[in-house]
Amino acid sequence: MARDNSPRGRRRDILKTITIGGAIGISGLAGCVGDPDELGGGDDENFDTVQFGVLEPRTGEFSALAKEHYQGTRLAIQQINDSDEFDFTIEHEEYDTQLDPATATQQATQAVQSDGAQFISGCISSSAALAINSFAADNEVVYTPGAADISITGENCNEYVFRFETNTAQIAAVMSQWTADELGDRIVYHIADYAYGESVLNEVETRMESSSDSYERVGVTRSDQGSTNFEAFISQISDVSDEADALVVGMTGSDLAIFLSQASSRGLPDEIPIVTTTGSFRAVRAGGGEGVYNTYSGVRYVPEIETGDNQAFVEAYESEYDAPPDNFSRVGYESIRMVANGIREAGSRDPTTVRETLSGMEHETIFGPNRFRECDQQAMNPVWMGECVEPDSGELADVELLTQLSGEEAAPDCEETGCEL
Amino acid sequence: MIGGILQQLVDGLTIGVVYVLLAAGLSVIFGVMHVINFAHGELFALGAYFALALIAPFGGTAFFAALFVAPLLVGIIGVAIERFTVRPLYGRNPLYHILLTFGLVLVINDLIYLIWEPGNVNLPTPAILSGTIDVVGLNASVYNVFVIVFGAAMALSVWAMLEHTKYGLIIRAGSQDRQMVRNLGIDIDRYYSLVFGMGAALAAVAGIILGGYQTVSPEMGMSVIIPAFVIVVLGGLGSFKGAVAGGLLVGIIQTLLRTYAPILEGTVIFLLMIGILLVRPRGLFGVEMEEEGGELLTGSGGVLDDRTRKWVGLAAVGLLALLPLGAGTFYSTYTVTLAIEILVWALFALSLDFVMGYTGLVSLGHALFYGLGAYAVAIALLHVSQSAFVAIGLAIVISAAIAWVVGYLSIRVSGVYFAMITLGFAELFYNMLYRLEITGGSEGLFGISTYYGIAGVGIALDEIGLFLGPVTLTGQSLFYYIALAALIGSFLLTRRMLNSPFGSVLKSIRENEQRATFLGYETTRYKRRAFVVSGALAGLAGGLFTLNSGYAAPSFAYWLHSGEVIVMVILGGMGTLYGPIVGATVFFGLEEILTGFTPRWRLVLGTIFLLFVIFLPRGLVSLPARLKPLVTRDSGPGAEPAPDDSHMRGDD
Repeated sequence: MARDNSPRGRRRDILKTITIGGAIGISGLAGCVGDPDELGGGDDENFDTVQFGVLEPRTGEFSALAKEHYQGTRLAIQQINDSDEFDFTIEHEEYDTQLDPATATQQATQAVQSDGAQFISGCISSSAALAINSFAADNEVVYTPGAADISITGENCNEYVFRFETNTAQIAAVMSQWTADELGDRIVYHIADYAYGESVLNEVETRMESSSDSYERVGVTRSDQGSTNFEAFISQISDVSDEADALVVGMTGSDLAIFLSQASSRGLPDEIPIVTTTGSFRAVRAGGGEGVYNTYSGVRYVPEIETGDNQAFVEAYESEYDAPPDNFSRVGYESIRMVANGIREAGSRDPTTVRETLSGMEHETIFGPNRFRECDQQAMNPVWMGECVEPDSGELADVELLTQLSGEEAAPDCEETGCEL
Repeated sequence: MIGGILQQLVDGLTIGVVYVLLAAGLSVIFGVMHVINFAHGELFALGAYFALALIAPFGGTAFFAALFVAPLLVGIIGVAIERFTVRPLYGRNPLYHILLTFGLVLVINDLIYLIWEPGNVNLPTPAILSGTIDVVGLNASVYNVFVIVFGAAMALSVWAMLEHTKYGLIIRAGSQDRQMVRNLGIDIDRYYSLVFGMGAALAAVAGIILGGYQTVSPEMGMSVIIPAFVIVVLGGLGSFKGAVAGGLLVGIIQTLLRTYAPILEGTVIFLLMIGILLVRPRGLFGVEMEEEGGELLTGSGGVLDDRTRKWVGLAAVGLLALLPLGAGTFYSTYTVTLAIEILVWALFALSLDFVMGYTGLVSLGHALFYGLGAYAVAIALLHVSQSAFVAIGLAIVISAAIAWVVGYLSIRVSGVYFAMITLGFAELFYNMLYRLEITGGSEGLFGISTYYGIAGVGIALDEIGLFLGPVTLTGQSLFYYIALAALIGSFLLTRRMLNSPFGSVLKSIRENEQRATFLGYETTRYKRRAFVVSGALAGLAGGLFTLNSGYAAPSFAYWLHSGEVIVMVILGGMGTLYGPIVGATVFFGLEEILTGFTPRWRLVLGTIFLLFVIFLPRGLVSLPARLKPLVTRDSGPGAEPAPDDSHMRGDD
């Protein structure tokens, strides 16, 4: 559902005008009620700096991914500020969203109202990102979320939200196609019982059904989000492993790492191929240890890819942080770069002007030519299928890429997204 | 079928044994020292991290050495915690341990983040523990079998120590009647440190073996603490036998339900606890324990007389009313946003204080009513009427009605059992929010708009501006006055109630419930009424938040919010009405200041809580009374004894 774009309350302009009104100090306290739109405002075309607010949790299950995001963001800002290609510099503040959307909104408010941010970025948690989605539209600031929830650029989309993170629909496209081609179309699922798990189930199933007439859902087991004991589910999956061609796991983060570790201890990968959505994440591979070996995963990003200027990014990142980038490093990095391109192109730091420019604009990115497409403002990222294999040294599984889908092939049709921009 | 059930039993035993080790330490600590140790989960995590550090240089082969050394280190930390933070609190109500150990959670957890970085890490285990065992159709990993055997051996050793050594005899006697042990000439205080250390070491053992089974992460302590508490209460506080039975029962039932009734997976532990407490209020193996009383230090009257206090109150309200007028000129408009958050939480804290500070009922599930109010408003605005008045009215009525039901079922138990049963209801609600379509599942409800009026006639705050000379009030600034009016109205309402005969009965219940009963008051009924008022006000707070923000999310009902609001009440000073308001202001103020200085701000906040609960137990409202003698250079009334002055214990 798109938001109404009529010229109703332009809050940032109102806030500016209030400040001016205070300074002028018109006398008289007699009150009256009026339309705040009368307060007016305008584009800001002469500027040296733009202000970004970066929102991520310092604690909790997303904090490791948030660290990657922070680092990618800082690197992009540093490069832009050092570059001659941009005639402005970016200033930014970082905010701790803690564990819930309420704090995320409060921190976003601080970024915009107190620190003057025109652009905000971050929030890997879907519920926090959805709260900031609304906030961005209400406050007319450009927002680049880190969450993969489909509805962010689907039914909850709005004009101020641009997402470089690859969403679940895009990753499900490559997963379902490769699984049907290489493993078979009789699928058993294990999903986390919340929006993310359900969206994986729906997306994979929809694509499987459309690509294969003989598709069969053998069974589904569901565990609560944050579960730490999957023995009972592994036993159930083991019981039907003879009837299915593959197990598709719709979980992420520590849930997935623990599941893979326990499944491996029970010898499940020897019974049935395991296909995941985010097993290629470095955080999952670190947590799952040997349990990740010999499993398949949709891949949003690995440092080894040779697209665009990715290798230059990897080199700069490793030089700065002494560690390779991962998915959320590139999300933070490219989100900032693409918005900066939009500001340069628009010649304005006014978020409304920038968002009009950004929509559909072509960029050179780490994935090569890319854009936030007009209909939902989702980046047209390519996606890969990969296998997590035992490394030559150390414990962290390597990811070997098996196949690729282009951005155009992976993205769902505009009519299917539920976004009406 | 039978093979399947046997498989589930083996699976259930694996996690059940870990629960046993975790709950045993917690239970013994409570049984002997009456300490509600929320930091137990962090000691559990610390055990896993110490093991990780010990194993890293040597690989999985060092696992067994780590299993011995890491618990020893955590045990020493446990002894230090008891000696330097818990000991000054003996003799006070166990409520203060909540604030203390909440502070310890923040400190230890942030130290883990600081030293080991965020994220999941795999705990290497020796090769001998890898692989699977297939016996008569049963399939189990070698590590699971190790967990069951080793965990059972540990539990057996602790049981043997408690049953067959002099040390165990004294601990058991102490958990039944500390005074009797003292009368026998045994200095039980000396044993406290060892008991705490032993409990911490057991938690560390559980952390290590579970770390090898799952992964190690800074959040692992937070994820087990609530199940551990539930098992302790379910088995009976202070009962080792109860911890064993509770741990195994929960492990096996949880596993069986994952197969046969997966919808109950997240709720079964709470349903079990509520069911058992309703039938057997002291848990499965709990005995009639001595009253855990201790001195409940409610805020003192302070240094101001009634008249001065009234003027100070009016001046404070006047200043608060002026706050939005300076926004955008003297300070950022964000100040108004932050002030709204504080006002809403102050109202939430006030609602808790009405039952906690005036009837002694510690609700650990008050986030239920906050969440209920928020969702009632969201659902009403989306499906019933966009009128804010209708929505907030429904939120109050629904919260009050549910509070009556929860109160009816919960008030039959008291003390920690009451805290845990209210937590159980809150967790059931939290779980329900995730599952229901009408609540928007895990994502919650978004994009909600409202107007202030009725039957389609009214105003939307975002669409009007109130011009007061040089100042324009709109949106947030206008809502600020609504929140302020709600807080002041609630304050006056509760104050009126407390000054009525109803309030006098509540206070008498807090001071001595038995005596109030002897005077002919049906105390349960009065407590239930207070709980209903409290639930309605908490619902109002949650409803106001959603009215302003336009969304409701499941995290509103998360148990940590219940813990935070208790901290605010104790921080400000309970039993004063204005104390919780001060507490909420200081809580958010500290958070606001500290987050600007360091990413690891929780470490500082936790340390402040520790110092606070040790040195200023009556809350911030008692600060003027404590400072007065220093200013006037006399030892005027109101100064309380230094914590170490009192060697009296609650059971003395």
